[in-house]
Amino acid sequence: MFRAQLAASRAAARRLYSTRAPQSLLVCARNAARHPAYVQQSSLLQKFGGSNARRGYAEAASQKFSRAKPHMNIGTIGHVDHGKTTLTAAITKVLAELGGAEFTDYSEIDKAPEERARGITINSAHVEYETDNRHYGHIDCPGHADYIKNMITGAAQMDGAIIVVSATDGQMPQTREHLLLARQVGIKKLVVFINKVDMISDPEMLELVDMEMRDLLSTYNFDGENTPIVMGSALAALEGKNPEIGANKIVELVAACDTWLELPPRDLDKPFLLPVEDVFSISGRGTVATGRAERGVCHKGDEVEIVGLGAGKMKTTLTGIEMFHKELDRGEAGDNMGALLRGIKKEQIRRGQVICAPGSIKAVKKFQAQIYVLTKDEGGRYTPFMEKYAPQIFLRTANITASLHWPEGTADAADKMVMPGDNVEMILDLVHDVAADVGTRFTLREGGKTVGTGIITKILDFA
Amino acid sequence: MFTRAALPSLRLYSTSAPPNVPVKLIAELRKRTEVSISKAREALAASDNSVDAAFQWLQEDLIKSGAKKAEKLADRLTKQGMVGVSVLQRGLGDGTVKGKGGIRAAMVEVNCETDFVGRNARFDALVTDIAHTVAFMTEAQNSGNLIRPVPLELLKDAPLMSASGEQQAGDVTVGSAIHDSIARFGEMITLGRAVAVVQDPLPQGLGVRVGSYAHGSVDNPNNGQIGTLAVLALKSAKLGELIAAQAFRDDLAKLERSLARQIVGFPTTTLKPREGEEDEWALYEQDFMMFPESNGAKVKESLRQWASSRGIEEEGGVEVVDFAKWTVGGA
Repeated sequence: MFRAQLAASRAAARRLYSTRAPQSLLVCARNAARHPAYVQQSSLLQKFGGSNARRGYAEAASQKFSRAKPHMNIGTIGHVDHGKTTLTAAITKVLAELGGAEFTDYSEIDKAPEERARGITINSAHVEYETDNRHYGHIDCPGHADYIKNMITGAAQMDGAIIVVSATDGQMPQTREHLLLARQVGIKKLVVFINKVDMISDPEMLELVDMEMRDLLSTYNFDGENTPIVMGSALAALEGKNPEIGANKIVELVAACDTWLELPPRDLDKPFLLPVEDVFSISGRGTVATGRAERGVCHKGDEVEIVGLGAGKMKTTLTGIEMFHKELDRGEAGDNMGALLRGIKKEQIRRGQVICAPGSIKAVKKFQAQIYVLTKDEGGRYTPFMEKYAPQIFLRTANITASLHWPEGTADAADKMVMPGDNVEMILDLVHDVAADVGTRFTLREGGKTVGTGIITKILDFA
Repeated sequence: MFTRAALPSLRLYSTSAPPNVPVKLIAELRKRTEVSISKAREALAASDNSVDAAFQWLQEDLIKSGAKKAEKLADRLTKQGMVGVSVLQRGLGDGTVKGKGGIRAAMVEVNCETDFVGRNARFDALVTDIAHTVAFMTEAQNSGNLIRPVPLELLKDAPLMSASGEQQAGDVTVGSAIHDSIARFGEMITLGRAVAVVQDPLPQGLGVRVGSYAHGSVDNPNNGQIGTLAVLALKSAKLGELIAAQAFRDDLAKLERSLARQIVGFPTTTLKPREGEEDEWALYEQDFMMFPESNGAKVKESLRQWASSRGIEEEGGVEVVDFAKWTVGGA
């Protein structure tokens, strides 16, 4: 019965949105076609999976949930008293009744335990649930610095977010900071939940909250006009009261996430890329480059390109794919494989380069990145550094010296310090070019220890 | 049955007929004040739907409702926020403000619950104004420590001085300005700590100067996540003639800034190690990495070299005599 309700209210939600946003449905339809059901290990799972039974990831999942749904990470952002945590708890409660989650109590979410991922301490609570169409990892982080750190380290990223605003207050001065953050971490689409609507008697006031929120979203370059705004009461949903503003609205909210928030492209759908770890010369056969395919699919006979470390755009053909000493016709993301390359001498290819689908990635020499600098406790530096600091950057299998600078127009650039624990946006000038994209992660190392980690936000110079 | 559209269903929850406050006016008032919807409506209802009158009404009411809210939120953790530094007079050779040669500076920490509020421009301005007020109002007390804590109880009722020179409406005090912010942000905000350095000019041949630095600023470079005030003492028979030269004053300002940055950038705990002990985080024992002229020398040697290369031959001609360093949430 609940399934039917879910479907019904989703249909209702669609009707609501479709009046505003006919194109959003098209987008979603396209997405659905692009993402047939598949099994994906979420990054959260890889990092925390099974190690923490309290959250019951692996165990519960293997019994209860099928992983044959596309995964997405979302988060709640909002004022401390506008009900983020209540909403998160309410989502798990309502979806638990529909069989798509395990109820996570308010107190469990609110605890926000400290975790260590890649040796970096992060602070966030993780919850998971699923709808008919998707599996969600949900985070509820308390602050700006924590979110940024999560984003840079990839410990708990957000592909989309729910902004929670109380109907009694409307947006607050700090709502701007919430949206700025979402922008900064690369979130393109948001869903808004107007909470505590039972405290407001005048529907016109709710319309005002709605209108103001759309204005503000547009100011910060979100699609204010078409962003779904759901009005309800998370508390009512949590307490199982007034389904018309409680449970139903949660269902509607989740449906809005399903339809409006876009799934990140999954690794298999991206163009093929194999970071070169090692190169061998096999007599009678030729040169074999080995590594773990990062994304995409390759076939024997495919044309590929070698990019990075001065390779230019060296084109060649994949004459063989090997795994576990067996020859294969096809390799895909996640495979540890050897790639036999036609007409390439051992000296022509080396660790740090990538083998990829032609034209899918370019070699870069200079980019802007968001960087988190590890604290002493996290194994990083205990002293500050300044502009022109030149650590090694480790990007995929490449290891290159880079020098760091402030973006143009930074006040007091020559004087500005970067201290352990800081999140900063800086420009990296590389000594050699390397294959990279916006979103590529890397680490900064110095004297054999990791001092920072970063993610590319803008490419400035190609090789 | 579950497919009711959003807005009509909410009407069921109307408990009373809405008082006649046009939504347009609420929106207008909110654009001007950023107060909550309920508050904006209350203000208009109390002011005969005149936006100007409601604006006036809010000035007072925000302080009152903020005070009430502060009571309600009293047990909230306020670990975020900002340290703000205000230097009104840098000391010897500073002729920008009347009373040449004295120091007038302060550092405050204002706390809030989330760093979203801590990064907001309105909060930044509050921190700036409070730091400015403390520097402005503290009386000179020419004995004891140079950097002295300012009792927070006393500050609460001090009239808030706007750093931008704008006239404050009514009798806004530091305490009421904080209450006003609590009402606007809906988050607990507290004044964590405050210190001031206020020193009258010293007799001929002696001088004091203050250096400052704030790290992790959002907008105002004097506010950040870590802040410091450092007091430098100068002693030389030639001081009067030296300080008259612009080049010397510029050099001195550079040195002060480097010292302040060194204190902030490194885990500096004290000025000098205790007699007979070693302390790598005592300022004087650190390699002076924030001062390019130091060439890797320690702070104590760099100070000596700096003094003698500028013709100050007296022993201890340039010394750091006191500093305060705070990190947000570190109280």
